[in-house]
Amino acid sequence: MPAKFKISSTLNCDVLVIGAGGAGLRCAAEILERKPGTKIVAVTKVPHCQKSHTGTAQGGLAAVDPKDPVDKPIYHMFDTWKGSDCMADQNVIKKIVDSAWEQIVWLENKGMHFSRNQEGGLSKRTFGGHTVRFGETSAYRAVFEADRTGKGIMDSVWGETLRGGASFVNQSIATELLLKDGRCAGAVLFRERQGEFVAVCAKATVFATGGDGQIFRVTTNCRQNTGDGLSIVLEAGLPVMDLEAVQFHPTGIVGPGILASETLRSVGGILRNRDFEPFMEKYAPKMKELAPRDLVARAIETEIQEGRGILNPDHNIEHVWIDLRHLSDYVHKVQIPEVTSFFKKFVNIDPKFELCPVRPSNHYQMGGIPTTEFGEVQSASGEIIRGLYAVAECAAASFHGFNRLGTNSILELITMGRFVGQRIVEFLADQLPELPADTGKKSFALFSGYLDQTGKENLEEIREESRALMTEKVGVFRTEVGLTEAIEALKAFKKRAANTTLSCKSLKMNPELILRWELDNLLSISLVTAVCALNRRESRGGHARKDFPERRDDFNYHTLATMIEFAEVDLGKREVDMSIFESNCEHCERFGIIERKY
Amino acid sequence: MPETYKIVLKIRRYDPDNERSWIQRYQLEAGRILRFTDLFRKINKELDATLAWNSSCEHGQCGTCSVKINGKPMLACELLVENAVAHFETNEFLIEPLTIAPVVRDLIVDFDKAYERVHKIKPYIIEPVENPNAGNEYKISPRHLERYVDATRCINCFCCATACISSHHNFLGPNAIMASIVRLMDLREQAKSERKRLLYSEEGVYRCHTSKACSFVCPKEIDVAHFIALAKSGELDPRLDNEN
Repeated sequence: MPAKFKISSTLNCDVLVIGAGGAGLRCAAEILERKPGTKIVAVTKVPHCQKSHTGTAQGGLAAVDPKDPVDKPIYHMFDTWKGSDCMADQNVIKKIVDSAWEQIVWLENKGMHFSRNQEGGLSKRTFGGHTVRFGETSAYRAVFEADRTGKGIMDSVWGETLRGGASFVNQSIATELLLKDGRCAGAVLFRERQGEFVAVCAKATVFATGGDGQIFRVTTNCRQNTGDGLSIVLEAGLPVMDLEAVQFHPTGIVGPGILASETLRSVGGILRNRDFEPFMEKYAPKMKELAPRDLVARAIETEIQEGRGILNPDHNIEHVWIDLRHLSDYVHKVQIPEVTSFFKKFVNIDPKFELCPVRPSNHYQMGGIPTTEFGEVQSASGEIIRGLYAVAECAAASFHGFNRLGTNSILELITMGRFVGQRIVEFLADQLPELPADTGKKSFALFSGYLDQTGKENLEEIREESRALMTEKVGVFRTEVGLTEAIEALKAFKKRAANTTLSCKSLKMNPELILRWELDNLLSISLVTAVCALNRRESRGGHARKDFPERRDDFNYHTLATMIEFAEVDLGKREVDMSIFESNCEHCERFGIIERKY
Repeated sequence: MPETYKIVLKIRRYDPDNERSWIQRYQLEAGRILRFTDLFRKINKELDATLAWNSSCEHGQCGTCSVKINGKPMLACELLVENAVAHFETNEFLIEPLTIAPVVRDLIVDFDKAYERVHKIKPYIIEPVENPNAGNEYKISPRHLERYVDATRCINCFCCATACISSHHNFLGPNAIMASIVRLMDLREQAKSERKRLLYSEEGVYRCHTSKACSFVCPKEIDVAHFIALAKSGELDPRLDNEN
């Protein structure tokens, strides 16, 4: 192996945070606040943590204000449980919901620029699925920073960790998780700009690598969300959970998949197919466009699959229309200006005069690395891996079960980030672990393999084809036949990936090399997602099987999947925590296996 | 309206391994609503896999894909082919990396260096004012927030800093200055003197020549020059208008 494949340096630290987005840095900030001077290394794949995917979250943060005379945490817990299609873990729901407001105050006190009401307090708005008195009426529960709540969170936690003295390792990836004697000892990083491998030895390692949206062709996720974190966890022999639980937003803008808010439908936008027929009448005669997210997504997908979609020639993607032309100037200018500007900016269409192209877009991964309510990573048999943590979208504690409510994702970032930080502080008295003797070996073999391999296949083409396959066969609708075909196709892509030749052989800032590595991660996560979806012969939350349209009680469990060799997936189960139902608290009877009907 | 456009991209390239810089010409046919990030991807797929560029969210929210296009700094993910042709009145585009930090490869610059100036102004509350409403949020009137909320929308894409006519070597730059102004106007911040010392120092606001290039190029349409003008005239006291 050439001399450039070596560990250039070894960093010793207390805590290694892999993924410096909202959750990773909330965790770091908590540790620095409780134990100033703790040595934290935060790694991010983007050029600076401010560029993280967290920053793109628009809507808001759900949290029950204790001063609110009507709303109560138990209502928020119920909404989350119902929304999850009875698959969230109730211990986690309780923990997050009970601590939500305290975390909002923390963010505000640290300088987040929340939108204000006339009294100078925090403004609140309603959001789909959030109700008071168990579905009776909409709850004013979401605090927000205009249409950039995620950016507000990101800037606040970045500021706090910077102030606390964390070290940032930017534009770098983690290529190998280091486990020794059942304990996590750190990770190997690859610093893209320098083209160097660095070993990090840490008392605690936190995965906060975000979602895997790029496995789909049309997604609201940023380009870096290629499932890297899940992939290296799988390679280390650890499980992932509920990967079949994927949320699709009904109205992504063609072609990038940018989210066009639900507001478009609530202000009176009408969905139309190729023949300009207002098709929602067929699927939800009463609610029409106002039906829940997943139902609308399935209606649009059906129209497209049955040939009533429209092909956009530039992006080569099929879509339907949303018609906003009949809405008044007031609605356009005052109620939906941001979304209007998105259509103008990204498809050059003026929604006042033209039909706008939309289609379901992958939005959120409910599953992830299985953890306890403290973010401690578990093995397939449920044992805690000492020194290893995972938090937020890359993890599954699980707060969202099989369907996530809007505004609950960034709430999870800040609450769980904080809980994980708290847990880690208790753990810091531990000795620094020893690195395994073969540290880096796996990474060197992988990367030198990429540079040495030859063949005529085109990297970008395989990536595109695989993502299109996932959107078509493992997307909004799944069937036995489609999933089986997808699994076979993914195996073929994996073989083709080995026959690509990299044009640039440098290790230093070589995006082609990173694309090649990401392709392996995308294929692994795609494959596990398809296998989990094939195994779950029912429909639940974001997982819709055309051949098994009903929810079934014998599937009331989380799916665990491990994959050490590509395509050799072992499946297992984890029980759903029902501790609220089993407690004797007021309203506990509402937390049984209930119907998800709105 | 044509269905596709014949586009020429002349891209300034840099190979750090051989320390070589050159301009490479790529000719491609592109649909009218493809974005420039889509064009870069198309080049990677069809013409040249070695072209290096950066992006993240690709919908104008993160500021990672900023480049100079025919001299104007902008976000590549927001520029559609047909808009570019209309705006620059040409089908040929010179694409160059930002000039605020050393180039790492092709269009990728060293953001660590670029962000050093933002870090220098301390983009957080240095010392909080005691909260009269302890355990709750501070009270901030919407009218007061309105004065500086636009400045909080900055995503540090460094387009303004690239367009700024003041020297990059001894000026903090418009985006870093604006981040400090936010905290000077924020009534939760106690450390006003410390902030002012830097703001009115040798590398502070008076380096600004008021060309207003910052406001002109800002992809988020923030009137950056307005905030710098407020700082120059000393109108940053947060308590003046936090009344309901």
